[in-house]
Amino acid sequence: MLRMRITKRQEPLGIGGSCFVLLTALSLSLLVSAVLLYLGGTSPIRGISVLFQGAFGSRYALEDSILKAIPIFLCALGVAVAFRLKIWNIGAEGQFALGAIGATWIALSFPAWPKFILLPAMIGMAMAAGGLWGLIPALLRQKLRTNEIIVTLMMNYIAILFLDFLVYGVWKDPTSFGFPMTPGFSEQAIVGKIGATAVNWGLVHCLVLGTLVFFFFRFTRIGFEIKASGDNVRAARYAGLPYDRLVMLVMVMSGALAGWAGFLEASATVNRLQPSIMVGYGYTAIVVAWLARLHPLSIGIAAVLLAGLRVGVESLQLDLQVPAAFGGIIEGLILLTVLAGGLFTHYRLVPRKH
Amino acid sequence: MTASGPLIRLEGICKSFGTVLANRDVSLTIESGKVLALLGENGAGKSTIMSILAGQLQPDSGAIYLDGRQVILSSTEKAIKAGIGMVYQHFKLVSAMTVAENIFLGRGGIWLNWSRMHREVAALAEQYGMKVNPAAKIGDLSMGERQQVEILKLLHRRSSILIFDEPTAVLTPREADNLFDTMRLMTASGKGIVFISHKLEEVMAIADTVAILRRGEIVDTLAAADVHSPAELAERMVGREVLLQVERIPQEPRQIVLKVHELQDAVLSNVNLELRQGEILGLVGVAGNGQKQLVETICGLRRPAENTIRILGMEWRKFFRKADWERTLAYVPEDRQGLATCQGLTLLDNFLLTTRGGFVRGPWLMRHLAEAKALHLIEEFDIRPPDLAAFAWQLSGGNLQKMVLAREFYRKPRLIVAEQPTQGLDIAAAEDVWNLLLKAREASGILLVTGDLSEALALSDRIGVMYNGRIVDLFAVEDEEKVALIPQMMAGLSTTTDRHLATF
Repeated sequence: MLRMRITKRQEPLGIGGSCFVLLTALSLSLLVSAVLLYLGGTSPIRGISVLFQGAFGSRYALEDSILKAIPIFLCALGVAVAFRLKIWNIGAEGQFALGAIGATWIALSFPAWPKFILLPAMIGMAMAAGGLWGLIPALLRQKLRTNEIIVTLMMNYIAILFLDFLVYGVWKDPTSFGFPMTPGFSEQAIVGKIGATAVNWGLVHCLVLGTLVFFFFRFTRIGFEIKASGDNVRAARYAGLPYDRLVMLVMVMSGALAGWAGFLEASATVNRLQPSIMVGYGYTAIVVAWLARLHPLSIGIAAVLLAGLRVGVESLQLDLQVPAAFGGIIEGLILLTVLAGGLFTHYRLVPRKH
Repeated sequence: MTASGPLIRLEGICKSFGTVLANRDVSLTIESGKVLALLGENGAGKSTIMSILAGQLQPDSGAIYLDGRQVILSSTEKAIKAGIGMVYQHFKLVSAMTVAENIFLGRGGIWLNWSRMHREVAALAEQYGMKVNPAAKIGDLSMGERQQVEILKLLHRRSSILIFDEPTAVLTPREADNLFDTMRLMTASGKGIVFISHKLEEVMAIADTVAILRRGEIVDTLAAADVHSPAELAERMVGREVLLQVERIPQEPRQIVLKVHELQDAVLSNVNLELRQGEILGLVGVAGNGQKQLVETICGLRRPAENTIRILGMEWRKFFRKADWERTLAYVPEDRQGLATCQGLTLLDNFLLTTRGGFVRGPWLMRHLAEAKALHLIEEFDIRPPDLAAFAWQLSGGNLQKMVLAREFYRKPRLIVAEQPTQGLDIAAAEDVWNLLLKAREASGILLVTGDLSEALALSDRIGVMYNGRIVDLFAVEDEEKVALIPQMMAGLSTTTDRHLATF
């Protein structure tokens, strides 16, 4: 048997090599998915093709994938900012919920404001609410040394229950026949669609915010300080970087971006606040951020890919009666294979000599 | 195997990393029933030689003989099979498992016989005077007990040579005494022991033979019985001959750049010192006597009590709140990889780490301006590879140090704290660093912390000796009488009165 040994690379893996590793990892996860389909009694080839057709095969499918990619992209951009500093924000889901709540509060309170004032006010409140939800775990972490993974995760449940409390209670639409939802937003509070497509202007928000985050890390002093502190906390203290403040900053930015996603979901997609907007975009965002290695452009690609997976699995469920949980399995497989492939950026396998 | 005699012999071992010779022509004999102490400062090559014995590194030249036959230890498995066992500073135990489970881990076989495992472990512990409960979880044990488990693991494999890498660093004095008792029982049963340390008293207490390493070479091998005092060992360890020729032009000391007044903490006791612009103060002493704490406090990594440290005329807190990036304090730490640089960032980003203040316009960081300066420094300091996009982890230790020095000198500091600045550098690079420090002295005060006495003597205007958290004495380098007493001071032997001789 050929025995292999892992050795460290002298040079980092180039672009070509990285793409090869990524594609191999994705193929491997699809291969395992196909085997699972086969074991479940579905033709694997048919299953995979239905999955792709359902995700990107028609105009309707493509639009739906992009619609779902918008909140995923913004949440992933947010967690990527925190991950750069090695702060593990698992709370995009809750920050997303708080953003939707903040935007809704403005939309319901001032429905008559003109659009050019109302929408920015909703965005501002969504960012503030989401940012606050991110700031709390950051403060707890730096002052009381709590673990941010646990705190952000637990705060997701608080946020979701708070959203439920509002839509089942004080904000419930009296004309909704008992359904948990707020009244619909006024015309001025809705982010419209681009031309004749089903895609809303949130797509443009994503492009602008993604570019801003890219420039922030590339060209600003604070962006550099976050990158350096994320690489080595001890060096950050050595160089006098304001680590405590950076932790607060990235968590606020992270929460604000997820909050923005919550605003778009409430305003553009459902035009009101209702519990059905909480479908786990904040968790998918973590997978997306990791797949993309925290790079804004790659986050865009990965967001469309995983949003497409969500849409494609619906077709798989309708046409071939494959359980919806299959989508979660593929998502997990992709994450596992791509992360495992990450080994090859710094190491390589060489045959063991005897 | 019970009879005394050579178990393993190293002959002419050489090992270099890049241009740095880590081991030069090292020959050692490890005898059964004897304790061989390997003494040397950090970076003297102790770990390299032991890694070679443990099969982790391959020597460039030289041979290893086991019971008279030449062997090639090409892997750790082979070293273990040859009976060589290492007790590392950082224990390699599974903390959720019991003592017995850890000892039997990886020993093969399918079935576990619990009562036999416990019986064997208990018997072995008993035989070597250790009190370990085989059923206890590792996570519940003290550091000393965990070390005993590591030792039991090796004894259970019937290792005939046990290498201890600074074993007392994590132990309380009482636990250290127990360890020495265990070592004596092991040598009595014919095992050979290698004891790596820089604690002189311990070496005197336990060793049969002492080998002293300096700059990769064995400078002395002597029977412990012939050593009369720790001072003798200290002297041989740090060396006295001036191996460097640097010209030191006397400078007129000017204003005070650093003042430490009655600094106290868990390790330091009542440290006082003053450093003026235009002078180099060499702080010598055996590692672990408070140098690290003192340096880290001065450089802002530990918080001192109020009004104990003034830097450039400002109280410590005010200094670190207000200090500009240039014309202030530059710190060249011993730990280049872990503290002075970010391994995952490029050379340019590492250059910006402490100089970023000079390239900021509003919120923006002017990378292109920094690029030009950094390229210039790379050329001036001959840093290889000369590529700003190279990552710090791709640089050798010497090049990384040159990068750190280039960066810190670029800040035109008024106070420089240099910790082991030439450790791991080859002679040519070390000479460059010495000249740089002497040149920088014109504009700044330099606190030079080093384990190399010849370096301190060649560069310093004044010498301070640290022992046990105190500065034992501070004197001008011209004071030959005091200079001659440095080894005694380093070993904690009082030089003014004979009241408190070090006890061991």
